Amino acid sequence: MDDSARQHSGERISGAVGTPIPHDSAHLHVSGAALYTDDLPEPRGLLHAAVGLSPVAHARIAALDLGEVLQAPGVVDAMTADDIPGKNNCGPVVADDPVLAPGVVEYAGQAVFAVAAESVEAARKAVHLAKVSYEELKPIIDPVEAVAASSFVLPSEVIERGDSRKAIDAAAHRLQGRVSLGGQDQFYLEGQIAMALPREDGDLFVYSSTQHPGEVQHLVAEAIGRSSKDVVVECRRMGGAFGGKESQPALIACIASLLAHKTGRPCKLRLDRDVDMLMTGKRHDFVIDYEVGFDDDGLISGIRFEFAARCGMSADLSGAINDRTMFHCDNAYFLENISIVSHRCKTNTVSNTAFRGFGGPQGMFAIEHVIDDIARYLSRNPLDVRKRNFYGKTTRNVTQYQQTIEDNIIEDVVTQVESSSDYAARYAAVRAFNADSALLKKGIALTPVKFGISFTATHLNQAGALLHVYTDGTVHINHGGTEMGQGLFTKVAQVVAEELQIDIDRIKITASDTSKVPNASATAASAGADLNGKAAQAAAQTVKRRLIQFAAEHFNVEPSAVRFENNEVLVGGQAIGFAELVHLAWFARTSLSATGFYKTPKINYDRSTFSGRPFYYYAYGAAVSEVIVDTLTGEHRLLRVDIVHDCGKSLNPAIDLGQIEGGFIQGAGWLTTEELWWNEKGELKTHAPSTYKIPVCSDVPEEFHVTILESQANREETIHRSKAVGEPPLMLSLSVFHALRDAVASVSNYQVLPGLNAPATPESVLRAIDGQRAAG
Amino acid sequence: MYEFNYHRPASLDEAKRILSGNDEAKLLGGGMTLLPTMKMRLAQPSDLVDLSAIASLSGIEVAGDSITIGAMTTHAQVAASAEVSSRIAALSVLASGIGDAQVRNRGTIGGSVANSDPAADYPAAVLGLNATVITDEREIAADDFFTGMFETALGPQEILTAIRFPLPKRAGYAKFPNPASRYAVAGVMVAETGNGVRVAVTGAGANAYRVSEMESALSANFSASALDGLAVDASELNGDLHASPEYRAHLVVVMAKRAVAAAGG
Repeated sequence: MDDSARQHSGERISGAVGTPIPHDSAHLHVSGAALYTDDLPEPRGLLHAAVGLSPVAHARIAALDLGEVLQAPGVVDAMTADDIPGKNNCGPVVADDPVLAPGVVEYAGQAVFAVAAESVEAARKAVHLAKVSYEELKPIIDPVEAVAASSFVLPSEVIERGDSRKAIDAAAHRLQGRVSLGGQDQFYLEGQIAMALPREDGDLFVYSSTQHPGEVQHLVAEAIGRSSKDVVVECRRMGGAFGGKESQPALIACIASLLAHKTGRPCKLRLDRDVDMLMTGKRHDFVIDYEVGFDDDGLISGIRFEFAARCGMSADLSGAINDRTMFHCDNAYFLENISIVSHRCKTNTVSNTAFRGFGGPQGMFAIEHVIDDIARYLSRNPLDVRKRNFYGKTTRNVTQYQQTIEDNIIEDVVTQVESSSDYAARYAAVRAFNADSALLKKGIALTPVKFGISFTATHLNQAGALLHVYTDGTVHINHGGTEMGQGLFTKVAQVVAEELQIDIDRIKITASDTSKVPNASATAASAGADLNGKAAQAAAQTVKRRLIQFAAEHFNVEPSAVRFENNEVLVGGQAIGFAELVHLAWFARTSLSATGFYKTPKINYDRSTFSGRPFYYYAYGAAVSEVIVDTLTGEHRLLRVDIVHDCGKSLNPAIDLGQIEGGFIQGAGWLTTEELWWNEKGELKTHAPSTYKIPVCSDVPEEFHVTILESQANREETIHRSKAVGEPPLMLSLSVFHALRDAVASVSNYQVLPGLNAPATPESVLRAIDGQRAAG
Repeated sequence: MYEFNYHRPASLDEAKRILSGNDEAKLLGGGMTLLPTMKMRLAQPSDLVDLSAIASLSGIEVAGDSITIGAMTTHAQVAASAEVSSRIAALSVLASGIGDAQVRNRGTIGGSVANSDPAADYPAAVLGLNATVITDEREIAADDFFTGMFETALGPQEILTAIRFPLPKRAGYAKFPNPASRYAVAGVMVAETGNGVRVAVTGAGANAYRVSEMESALSANFSASALDGLAVDASELNGDLHASPEYRAHLVVVMAKRAVAAAGG
């Protein structure tokens, strides 16, 4: 067969980039055969750990007696902060996060001591035998209280552009308000877990359910008083993470490792759901104050935000999270004169952490709330006011952090969903329905999403990969990213398949492992495929170059005459199987293993001035949601959702569709049903599915139309021009909240602003409805 | 869970023998509340007396103008019973809305009523339908039975054996379920009986209770509109992670109206 005929055969490898192949482990997930950390065969002599938690929010530990614990059946050892040979810290950025409380406890649920026993039951039972006496101190629980007391984990930050005060004072209309926004538990199906295995000479091998194996390696090494070279961390997959396993797994892994180190025996710590929810951080809840000035069309001339975020007892990732809130409180809107104040409140509650969106959702919530208020105040269709304030393409296109938006497609996205959802007709139909319906009220809203892609800390935007080609033509790929169900491993394998032009089943996807790829960033910021896809591609290209060089020499042709296509290598007019060429190359002593490296280009950003280009590009989307509310109880249902979302040129439309649907529903849970409830003593009382309601299949609307924006390649040169998709869709759920506001406002015939706080539980919605009636 | 002795007597007499002289023994119905409580170490019975092998405690019997349901009859059995649904549809509706399928298959009417959980559904039925609680020692009128949160008129050695529901002229039950647990945040049974209208509320207060103002209003006019303008005082109601007292007070009125509507009022 000659070259030109082959070119037109149209045959492609299986699993090429852009094909909607299933998740590589889908068949294992559904059959129960996928191995999660707790499913791994248990090593001989394994000990099981349990953790003693503080029952109080703030106290000095007056006495701590583990005598009875150590006497309990099956107990092998126990430890407190005093027994930690290295650093008592698992904080990822600031060393303010003790593994075990050092004399003072700062939240109810904080780890005070740990027990290792022959069985999980023995360890958990023994925990209750500890005699701990606490001298209680006054706790600070909520962010407003913390601001008043100047209780902060990090200094407050400010972004200013223009003169917002002057612009607001000069505006034709002004509004101000306060809204509160709840947090959210990540509620990964697989709880936090780590298993530490002592190796010879004091080394440790740690299986950890983590988005950040490198950080676990580093913090475990420091805790046991060793170096990174002495610790290896591996993670094949997580059963969900959502940011909850970005920094939090270090705490779990440190405890398991410290006990393994102390006893010389392997040790596993698996938290049960209640302990997991009490002990580990969640999405930050916020109190948001705003003031805005605007003209008769709703065009914003000046705006001021003051954010107070409940960070909990330590800094954790709160600095970057709250920075992202400041970067996303514009969403898709040009805010010429703006002042943003961001307080990172220290409270005696669990230290809040990363969660899908990483502070971005809270920022977007704020501006969407303001825009919606403006539209209602002016009796305008909120969509018109949103459009009026959109960023421009060539003017009005610089963000408050001085990044020029070069890839603005928000109007295209919004126009498409506006049309596909039949928004205008349904907006009118909702109003007609409400006019005739005394008790049930409908609401509809369209909200846009513009989300910046890259870690805002520039140095984190790097990735490595390691690729081996074996003599039978199969491939082993490894990279610094982690698999949490999002399909990263599948996408990276597709990239390698495409590059080497071999079927994807010739590629072995392997566990994240700090001894294969070092110093990897967390799989976070939606950047997993962007970074690791490029690194893997680079590794594949290196091996491919060597194979081309070899083939050119071996067959005596120009390197340009060697082409990889559909499991074969075309050398001049000849075709040779990929495996055959590989074997020949090996025989001729060619290196068939390579590393790959990638760093995101163009980004540069000065945190001290909050200016520069923190984001390589933006991902866009828009959603229309329609709800119905029972005004007697505040209960509500999501009737229909239409989404158009931008994935650039999708690496895998099936996986991206799943991310969009899942992200949206998870966001809807955050804004409507998931309520974290602390009592006045600072005890979290919602710490299990019996009291904390996450969305399930029955909460998915019957009409759920999700479309990936067609043929909009990323304007930046990302991996095959795709776009990140992990986090952005979560914020599409803001349309649900605003549809609820629309329904609530109908109670006053749209005359009174709907004072609705999130989550919009039935009680919260009813309170807002009462507000309508009282004012109307 | 602390250690305990497990018994599974085949007769009521045997159960009674185990109970007598054993102050720390507890009766086990479906275990839907007792077992989790024991697992959390909030209860420490010395002995558990499992009633599931006593055949006479299970079953649904229709006699004249009443239905008698054995204490060990599960919620699922009540929900599926044609005898119940054709005579007291509200009771059938109530049973089918308890918890989830697992709870309905394990949980028993006797266990639920004897436990007097403030958020359980059955207490509203017992009180609202003016049932009689039958024990191995006596019969207790519903109005005398629920005495407080997790407190009833039952003596420490007394075994609840059955509940007898007189057939109402009409009855309806409506509840606002907690979205996570399906427990009643507020549940109301409204019934028109031979002795007037009864309105019983569960979920909102320390234990199931009647609302006399609603009963008078509905006696005069058995329709949802008869409750218009009637407000419930929130000051005595529960406030917790599930709802504020004010929201519960509001829900009691809404659920009462829905119950009246369900009863055909």
